[in-house]
Amino acid sequence: MVLVTPAVAMVALFVLFPLGFAVYISLTNWPLIGSYHFVGGSNYSELAHDPQFIHSVLFTLLYTAIVTGPIFIVGYAMALLVRGGRFGSVFFRTAFFLPFIIGLATESFMALLELQPDSGAADFVLSHLGLVHANTAWTVSYGLGLTAICVFVTWFASGLTMMLLMAGMQGIPTELYEAAEVDGASWWQKEWRVTLPLLRRNIALALIISVIGSFLAFNQFYILTEGGPGTSTQPVVMWIYEEAFVQYHLGYATAGAVALVVVIGIISAAQFYLLRDSNDKQAAG
Amino acid sequence: MTAPSRASYAPPADRGQRPADRLAAPGSGGRRDLGRAGFALYLTGGTLAALVFILPFAWAVLRSFMPEHLVTQAPSGQDFSQLTTANYSGLIQTNDILRYAGNSLLVAVGTGLLTAVIATMAGYGFARFRFRGSGVVFAIVLVTMMIPFQALLTPLFLELHSLGLTNNLAGLALFYTTFNLPFGVFVMRNTFLQIPWEISEAAAVDGASAARTLLSVLRPLILPGIATTVLYAFLFSWTEFVGALTFITSNSLYTLPLALLNMEYGSVGQVNFGYLEAGAVIAMIPCILLYVGLQRFYIRGLVSGVVKG
Repeated sequence: MVLVTPAVAMVALFVLFPLGFAVYISLTNWPLIGSYHFVGGSNYSELAHDPQFIHSVLFTLLYTAIVTGPIFIVGYAMALLVRGGRFGSVFFRTAFFLPFIIGLATESFMALLELQPDSGAADFVLSHLGLVHANTAWTVSYGLGLTAICVFVTWFASGLTMMLLMAGMQGIPTELYEAAEVDGASWWQKEWRVTLPLLRRNIALALIISVIGSFLAFNQFYILTEGGPGTSTQPVVMWIYEEAFVQYHLGYATAGAVALVVVIGIISAAQFYLLRDSNDKQAAG
Repeated sequence: MTAPSRASYAPPADRGQRPADRLAAPGSGGRRDLGRAGFALYLTGGTLAALVFILPFAWAVLRSFMPEHLVTQAPSGQDFSQLTTANYSGLIQTNDILRYAGNSLLVAVGTGLLTAVIATMAGYGFARFRFRGSGVVFAIVLVTMMIPFQALLTPLFLELHSLGLTNNLAGLALFYTTFNLPFGVFVMRNTFLQIPWEISEAAAVDGASAARTLLSVLRPLILPGIATTVLYAFLFSWTEFVGALTFITSNSLYTLPLALLNMEYGSVGQVNFGYLEAGAVIAMIPCILLYVGLQRFYIRGLVSGVVKG
């Protein structure tokens, strides 16, 4: 009991209490300074009609819909490349995962420089390929900003998908492939009939983790486009941050945050269900 | 505390901590079944792909050593001929970057150590001692992993503020520690579950206390788990952005990402991109060193099944 007390106390104090407190705040008109009173569910009904909040939700969904596929496909391809443990695969794996380790904040500052018109590497490379003008300003336009960030995030996050899929691929018993070979299966058939079915759970996990990450996007937008032009590239977490700590509408912002917790909670519950499933199966086997 | 008993010992469940680094991998075999041409194709493709991930960092390092007027020009042949450390010396003298790097380091080391101590204690407790409701308590700790801290910024800000923990590096470390604990407790509990019960039992027969058993007998066996926990906590803390942005507003307490943001937004007039690039390079150094050096511990954590997204 004594051993687990500090951990439980910290989780209770800084996760569970704030969670309950968030629900309480969301039912008030809490300002940063001064008194507050209860407003019932009016923050929530106001959210449903707030064009800016709705835009940030839709924008986050659009962003998630765009990046999830490329992150998965690139990650899967890289997992295929490194799973065999051949000469060089540890080096490749390390390289592919490097962006995830260094983190989006630091890399966003690097990208800010490379996305500048005339001086950035993006314009330098793409204009030499004849794709864009050398003075394209990526971060001040909705379409260009979103495109650049999606490519950037795919580069950042596909390494994580690779790691999760690689672990699953390496757990598939070799005998299954040998049996398929005896039956004369081609490479494609082995991948389609053996790898994919046995990798279903890892694929689901990788997708869930990727989607949660996209729903919580903040750094890349805050640093690269500042949510702009206007608030056109403002994801949900940035809406919460701006509403709470720039506009000082803490009650209203927290109502949006509670909605986000519910959505993420539902997605994570699916993740835990999958993990539980895998643990039970292993315990039984 | 309930005394340890054999009945309370849960057998080590292999939770898929397969050695991710093992050589023989299914479905592909070694070099043989690829053939000479296939292997050459694999090496070429892999190298080209690896360059896509490494070159931007190498380019950033190179640019950080260019004079500012070249950084804000299109890349050219000049880039390699006028290398200078001016960005770094300028950063140190005018931007106080060493203070910010020190703040980041302090918070990251503090978070790593605190997480390791608390998660080891809790992991030991959950793995070895069964008390009333321990299963439920463990489930609650694990479930908090589902709650994104990004959505709790407002209540956390008000709470930390009333405790005097905003604009406070210790407060930031406490916040980071809390959100690393569920993962750490999970990893440490699994680590303890994989140690044969007889080892600590033998220590108990020899008269060692629970604490002594933990510190001297089990230590070498749990070090990999601790390394995984510390590594995750350190890297999380070092790279975290939105929490620091919310809880730290005083310039002298900025962590590195905040100092970089200040260079982007806070500066009057033009952004000094040379400084910004040099600052980004400073921020990525510990990540690269730790990851390349301790990669196997990092992958252990990933493969253990619960990942922070």
